[in-house]
Amino acid sequence: MLQANKFLIEEEKVFSGGLSCRGCGWALLVRHLASILGENTVYVVPASCFSIIAGPYPLNEIRGSVVHTVFAAAPATATGIRAALDRKGKKDATVAILAGDGGTFDIGFQSLSGAASRGENLLYVVNNNGAYMNTGIQTSTATPYGAVTTTNPQANFKKTFPKDLMGIIAAHNIPYAATCSLAFIEDYRRKIQKAKETKGFRLLMIDGPCPPGHKTDPAQSISIARLAVETKLFPLFEVEHQKYRINYFPKEKVPVERCLEKQGRFRHLFQDESRQALNEIQDYVDSYWEKLLKLEKLSFEE
Amino acid sequence: MNNVTTNDSLNTKTTSGKSYARHVQKILKGNYAAAEGAKLARAGFIPAYPITPQTTIVEELSNKVATKELDATYINMDSEHSVFAAAMGAAIAGERVFTATSGQGLFYAHEVLHAIAHFRLPVVICNVGRPSIPWNIWSDQTDSLAQRDTGWVQFYGESSQEVLDSIIQAYIISEELDLPVMVVLDAFYQSHTSENVWVPEQSLVDEFLPPKKLKGGEIDVDHPKAFGGLIAPDKYETFNYRYWVDINKVEDLANKVGEEFGKHFGRKYSAVEAYNITPETKLVLVTISSITSTARGLLPRYPEVGLLKLRLIKPFPKKSVLKALEPLSEDASIVTIERNFLGDKEGALMMEMKRALYGERNIKMYDVYTGLGGKDVPPRTIEKIIVKTLEAPEEISWIDLE
Repeated sequence: MLQANKFLIEEEKVFSGGLSCRGCGWALLVRHLASILGENTVYVVPASCFSIIAGPYPLNEIRGSVVHTVFAAAPATATGIRAALDRKGKKDATVAILAGDGGTFDIGFQSLSGAASRGENLLYVVNNNGAYMNTGIQTSTATPYGAVTTTNPQANFKKTFPKDLMGIIAAHNIPYAATCSLAFIEDYRRKIQKAKETKGFRLLMIDGPCPPGHKTDPAQSISIARLAVETKLFPLFEVEHQKYRINYFPKEKVPVERCLEKQGRFRHLFQDESRQALNEIQDYVDSYWEKLLKLEKLSFEE
Repeated sequence: MNNVTTNDSLNTKTTSGKSYARHVQKILKGNYAAAEGAKLARAGFIPAYPITPQTTIVEELSNKVATKELDATYINMDSEHSVFAAAMGAAIAGERVFTATSGQGLFYAHEVLHAIAHFRLPVVICNVGRPSIPWNIWSDQTDSLAQRDTGWVQFYGESSQEVLDSIIQAYIISEELDLPVMVVLDAFYQSHTSENVWVPEQSLVDEFLPPKKLKGGEIDVDHPKAFGGLIAPDKYETFNYRYWVDINKVEDLANKVGEEFGKHFGRKYSAVEAYNITPETKLVLVTISSITSTARGLLPRYPEVGLLKLRLIKPFPKKSVLKALEPLSEDASIVTIERNFLGDKEGALMMEMKRALYGERNIKMYDVYTGLGGKDVPPRTIEKIIVKTLEAPEEISWIDLE
């Protein structure tokens, strides 16, 4: 790969005028993805913000085929498309699912597990922005501990930690799964390339900036995404057949508060009576990181 | 009378006294006849999920794929919702698709039934009818009749032969109009009961049903396009209008395809079948599926009674029904026999018949619920219906209620 290719889009595969909000993760995520996957790709889109961003009829934001499908069954729809393309000799085409966290962690979970268990030759891309943003910021099982949403408002902020999707998908023993950040483009692009070249079921989970949902400044989307990695709120790692490899080790310990304080959805945690929640988040993040270190060690020791 | 399977059966007479060239006579359970139909139609993609009493259809198809009797991609899915979503995906990509389900499975797939229909996808499935909670796996048409408004064409088969033949015809109709078709058979009375079935040779079916033609609206990775994006209010109803235009063609097409099937295979079909409907007829029984056979067997004993069998239910074949009832006098009565309960006073057949006859004929109509949840409907039950409707009719009644 050329040096410039490591972080630059050489050939743009997304049209201008996409309908995402300012600072939305989807826009940048799909530009890099589509530039690497190429036009010989069928994107399968369940209900999500991307259903809108991809373009209302008769528009198509991406240079590629796009199939909008029902919320709960994008991997199943993609299974049918994959089978039909294979039968027509189009085995070189990529079939990629573009879903949000609601369509992945919640309503589409069974269909995801089914496709992963069957070893379908599909690339699953989840833009995890931690809530049902398209319907207006409702709690999903990906919503972080401590966040407020319209269905966990005020003092009833979310008091459970998100589902460990990466752990669950890794347990399906798939050939490739990775977390990605839009602040680490070289890493993201390498993972797209790797996912494209791998046969079988692959999953990429991207930390999705969402200014309206996270109550953030759109201009800060990338720097907040960077802070999420530096604080280990969103560690970068990849899993190949249950073997874990951490891709980025923060050079110094940055407390989670540095990332949370920039997001309005966590503002209430900085009042005296709620500060205990910050400690709980820090403890959880530390223990998850420790677990990743152990998993990595376990994966590669002789 | 010869009821056994023979290897060289081209000249064998069946119990009905007919034989068909380029067919093999077999004794098949309804579910195996359905699987045979899907195989002969050369379905290329079969997503599957087990549910009683459908299961042996997909088991048999998986067997045909494993033994290479059928060149298809068979996938064990994680639910009926996923089955129908996979069917949808493969159909968008231009594959000929088949699957089968029952009761809860069909209810679970309801969302995707709408999506398949309104994506205008040619998909053919079999549904083996059973009702919902409390658990019941036996014969009942509530499941499929509750899907009348999803936009699927529905045929109800009286015999295993008719199920096999209807699947082949269903692909012609489905692929000509880009509409999904459901062929329904009765649980156990058909699905698990052996009958004589004339199975056509593959070459005979191939002449009648050519490989699926692509129309340019399918996924083509060399010519990318988007499918199913958000549609603004000013354009949405245009799609409904086009659907409406095509769904209105189904009745005539079903009759035409049934006629052509008759010329090719020797067994003619139509949207409805009428028996003994004359100016002298006092009562017409309206039936679907296997209850039709029971009623037909009684006709010789009741010369004043006629029979109207509905084969096509959705869209409702109003023209064919009116034509079949043309000879009937206004003093006669109609009784609809319902093996379905849709939470309303009237059952589905009564609703549909009233809709068809409104403003056209002024004939008294009575509705009878019987055989729900698989309760047997023997000849004596049909006789009770006949006698009751002739002598002391009630607008709506339940026969043999315990």
